Formats: sequence, C-alpha cells, structure tokens
Amino acid sequence: MPIELHRIDDRLIHGQVVVGWGQPLELRFLVLVDDEVAGSEWEQELYRMGVPPEMRVEFVSVAQAIEKYASFASDPKPGMLLTGDIDTMARLCAAIPALRRVNLGGVHHRAGRAQKLRYIFLTNAEEAELRAMAAGGVEISAQDVPAARVIPLETVLAGEATT
Amino acid sequence: MADPTAPASVPNAPTGTERLQLPMATRVAIISRLFAVQASWNYEILIGNGIGFCVEPALRLLPGGAGGDKYRAALARQSQYFNAHPYLSSFAVGALARAEIEGQPAARIERFRTALCGPLGSVGDRLVWVGLLPTCSFGSLFLFGIGASPLACMLVFLLLYNAGHVTLRLWGLQMGWEKGLGVAAALGHPILRMGPVWLARAGTFLAGAAVPLTVMRLVNGGGLVRTGITLVTAAVGASMLVLFHGRVEGWRLALLAGFAALVFFLIRHA
Amino acid sequence: MIVDVLALGVLGAVLGLDVVSFPQAQVSRPIVAATLGGALAGNAGVGMLCGVVLELFAHETLPFGASRYPEWGSSSPVAGAAAAVGASVGELPMALLFAVPFGLLTASIGGWSMVKLRQLNARLARRRLEALARGSARTVAGLQVAGASADLVRSGMISLLAAAVALPAVRWIAVQPAPLSGYALPLLAAMGGAVAAGAAWKMFHSTSGTRWFGIAGLAVGIGLVVLMSR
Repeated sequence: MPIELHRIDDRLIHGQVVVGWGQPLELRFLVLVDDEVAGSEWEQELYRMGVPPEMRVEFVSVAQAIEKYASFASDPKPGMLLTGDIDTMARLCAAIPALRRVNLGGVHHRAGRAQKLRYIFLTNAEEAELRAMAAGGVEISAQDVPAARVIPLETVLAGEATT
Repeated sequence: MADPTAPASVPNAPTGTERLQLPMATRVAIISRLFAVQASWNYEILIGNGIGFCVEPALRLLPGGAGGDKYRAALARQSQYFNAHPYLSSFAVGALARAEIEGQPAARIERFRTALCGPLGSVGDRLVWVGLLPTCSFGSLFLFGIGASPLACMLVFLLLYNAGHVTLRLWGLQMGWEKGLGVAAALGHPILRMGPVWLARAGTFLAGAAVPLTVMRLVNGGGLVRTGITLVTAAVGASMLVLFHGRVEGWRLALLAGFAALVFFLIRHA
Repeated sequence: MIVDVLALGVLGAVLGLDVVSFPQAQVSRPIVAATLGGALAGNAGVGMLCGVVLELFAHETLPFGASRYPEWGSSSPVAGAAAAVGASVGELPMALLFAVPFGLLTASIGGWSMVKLRQLNARLARRRLEALARGSARTVAGLQVAGASADLVRSGMISLLAAAVALPAVRWIAVQPAPLSGYALPLLAAMGGAVAAGAAWKMFHSTSGTRWFGIAGLAVGIGLVVLMSR
C-alpha cells in the first residue's frame, strides 16, 4: 500500500514525521488533512519549509482527502497521511473503507485531557471516538517513532504504559 | 508559490522597512536563556514554558513594563504548549517577541505560534540531529582512526559542532526578530533548505571513511587480517540491522551480547 | 575510591544536564564524556577508547524531543572511568568488555530516568497552570530552575550509583585470568562498527547523492586501513 502510515499527530509536520518515519519508510509524499491549514496559504508555506526537498506535501481538507484518497493510494511512491486530531481521522475512516489502520503518534496535553501514554492525552469524547473507530474495524495503535514499541489501543486507553 | 514574507500572506506582517531595535541587554538576556530553553521539558507543555522564559526579557519593553497587563497577557500566551527543535526555537523566540512588541492581535500570534512548531522541529531535526551532529561525530571518529590524540578528537568535535550550534541560536534570534510574523522566509534560507543535504553527504563520506579506521584502531595492532575479519563481521552486522530496521536496535543487542561475552570469558577460565 | 565515585557523580551531573536542559553543547556525547571520565580516573586515552565504542552506538538513537533514547551524559563518564581504572589494575580488553555494556546499560537507565523527570516536570507545571495563565514571570522562571535542578540531581544520582557499582566491579573483573580476552576488542569493534554503519545508512540513505559519497568515503577509509596496517 503506497500510503504507509495514517497518523494522528497534533504537531502535524515535524521531526518525528519527516525524519523518524520519513527516512526508514523512504516516504516521498505527505498528505496533511486539515480544514484550516487547507485554507491558509501562509500556514502551508510554513509547513512546506519543514519538508525535505525530496518529499512533496499536499494540503487538503477532509472533503478533498476523501475525494482524492484513491489517487493518493495508487501513487507508486510511499507516503503518509497525517491529521492533527482524532475527529478528522474518524471522519476519514468513516468515509474511506480502505483506511483500516491508524497510528496514534502524538496527542498532547490540553485542558480536559487525561494522560494515557507519555505522548497521548485524551478527553472522554476522544476516547469514545477511538473506541467507535476500533469497533468499526479500524486497527489503532500508538507508536511515536519506528523503534518504539507498538501499543494496541486497549493498552493505550487503560493508561498502563506511561513510559 | 506565494511569498510567505509578503504582507498579503500574513495580514499585518512587518514589511521589513521598520527598524525595531532590541536593546543589547535584552538581547544578551534572551541569548543566555536560549541555552536553557528545554530546562523544564515535559510531556504536557513540552518547551512552552521555556519559550515564555526566553521571550520574557523582551516583554518588559511592552507598554506598562514588567508586571503590566500587556506583559502578563503576553507572557501567559508565550508559556503555553510549544514544540520545536531547541536550537531553532530561537527563530520562534525572536519572531514572537517582535510580534508581541508590535502589538499584533493575540489570536494571530497564537495561530502563528502553533504553526511554527512543526517546521522548526522538522528543519532542526534534519539539520542538527541527522546532519551536524553525526557529521561532526564521524569527523571526530575519523581523527581517532588516523591516530589523533584524545584532546584533538574532543576539541575538533566540540569546536565544529558548537560553531554550528551557537551560530544557529544567534542567527535564529536575529532572523526571528527581523522578520517577525514573516519568519517563514528565513526558514527558506539555503542553509536551512539545503544544509541537511550537504551535511548528509559530508556525513556519509565521513562515516564511510571513519568506521573502517575506527575498527582498525580499536583492534589495535591485530594486523590487516584481523582488522579485515572484524570489518567483514561489522558489514554483515550492519546489513542485518538495515534489513531489520525499525524492529531491532543494535545498541540493545550489543548490550546483551557484551555482557554475555563477558560472562562467557570469565566462566571459560573458571 | 570514594573520592573517585563522588567526583564522577559531579562530572556526570554536569554532563547529564547538557543532554537536554543546559546548554546542549554535546559535551555529553560519549567521545567527550567518556574521555573526561577516563581523564578523571587517570587515563584519558583509555577513556576515549571506551568513548569511541559508545559513540559508534550513539549514532543509532536520535534525540528527538519526545521520544525515549539512551542518556549518554551521566553514563559515559562512568564507563570511561571504569575502563581507565580496569586498565590500570589489570587487562584493558576485559576492562573495556565490562565498561562498554555497563555504559550502555547505564545510558538505558538514564533514558528511563529522563522520562520520569519529564513526568515530574509535567506535574510541577500542572500545579502552576493558573499562575502561568496569569503571566507570572516568577512561575515561568521557577519552573525552568526546578527542571534544571531536578535534572542535575537525576544525572548526578545515576552517575554516582553507576560509579559505585562499576569501579569495584571492574577492579575485580580486569584482574581475572581470561584466556579469550584477545577477542574482546574485535568483538566490541565489530558490534560498534555494525551499529554505526547501519545507523549511517538509516540516517543518510534517503538523501539524494549520498550513496556515492558513502562509497568514496569507504574507499578512502579502506585505503588508509591498508596503508596504515603495513
């Protein structure tokens, strides 16, 4: 599958994405799904600066991502689809039957969120959303960098693996 | 491609014609604090508090001075969640200080601050952690391999690395302060765009040269055959690690193998 | 020996602080830190040998902000000192065969302790979120100072405990008769070389043109090995 990873990371394009995953998976494109960034030229310019020359980045809204997913998936080069929050990924999973594996890469602290892993903090609503995605057949696990342990959703939600 | 420095891309971005000066004492205070930007690193606000700590001397220049309403509001804003490469956070510190002093709207500063995190992290990781650091390290190992003294190996590593490190911090602060909300233009500078590529090439060359020489010097007088056997073993091991990358960490295997060999060597005699 | 252990505790505290908190000048890298540890124990050259092997391993783990990685600042000086002490009382290969894996183990424990420190920092920050939201400069500065102080204590304790174990252990190990000790250095060199070469590939292979630079470097390196081995 050319989209090697479907990742939720509120830091969007950053070192773990571009270097941590980008180099071992030899990623050649990123699809950043975010309604606000898709409509903001200066934010897109800023995010482009963080991407190495050999990698292209596409900024799309949720609607555009659903529409274009098949073409992303048929790209012969490996790529990553990235969302900044759980809700966006849940909407994609609901609309794209082929999207059946999700990586939790970083959801950080905010008021109302409780710590589950050192890099995953969730509200009750987000927890419920993840459970609903899993019940719908999406395989969800947490892993910040490739060398780290893959932690299944149930273990994440139990909050038993904080180191 | 739109010019991110253009006022149209970021409403009310400074045009660059105004020369807003940062007093020398303030600049020195910010620079000294930049070296400790990660001191309170944590999993909730990451280096957010550190950014507030570094920007704080500039905020004293706001109307009302230190402790004034504007100062407190700005400091609260700047101490929230933030994530970036520590050296390149100086770009953010300079740009955010400028935005606050210019009195940019709070909502715009916050959105800009959020958008800065990723690119500064990504560029910094590629330029420093996967560029400057391994390149200087392999350079130092090369010196070790050709027989340089411990002092020379250490000094060359530290001087080369810190020339890059300190320059990045100082340049970042300057560029951030000059460009303000248009700092994205500075991130397009050839050093930041192409630096990782040049460093990767230099690093690869030095790695190729340094590893055989380092192995030879560690084997220490074992002769060409012994060095050759060790190098072939290392090459096979490296191939296996590449093959299983992402699933196996060599240093963990080495930890186990090293202790196992130690015990075996001791037991064999006993 | 108590003085050596205490001195290593202080050195490890300062070098451990360098890893993340202040000033990140990379004096904590094994090639520097282990050499300093060796110098403290009376033999910088042996400290550097240990540091070089650890440095080869250090290429494999990148210090991305939020990820967990080995902490070399508090571990390397102890490993370098252990190698130097072992070599002064017994055989260098056996001293290194103990010091290197011991350094890796301590670095791993150091990495774990950094996670704990970050959780402590998070608790401290959480308790002061209201003060931060009010824009309290005192709170902002206090959190920085508290974090750096805790890191200093953390790394100092790691070094102190590691040195308290490593120095007596290496004094015993280095004097044990070990007929196979001649294989120790090739073993360490092969493991270190494998990890560093694999890491270099992982770091650089995706950048265009690096392959030819790597081949050229390898040719230079092997050429020099042949010349210098004659």
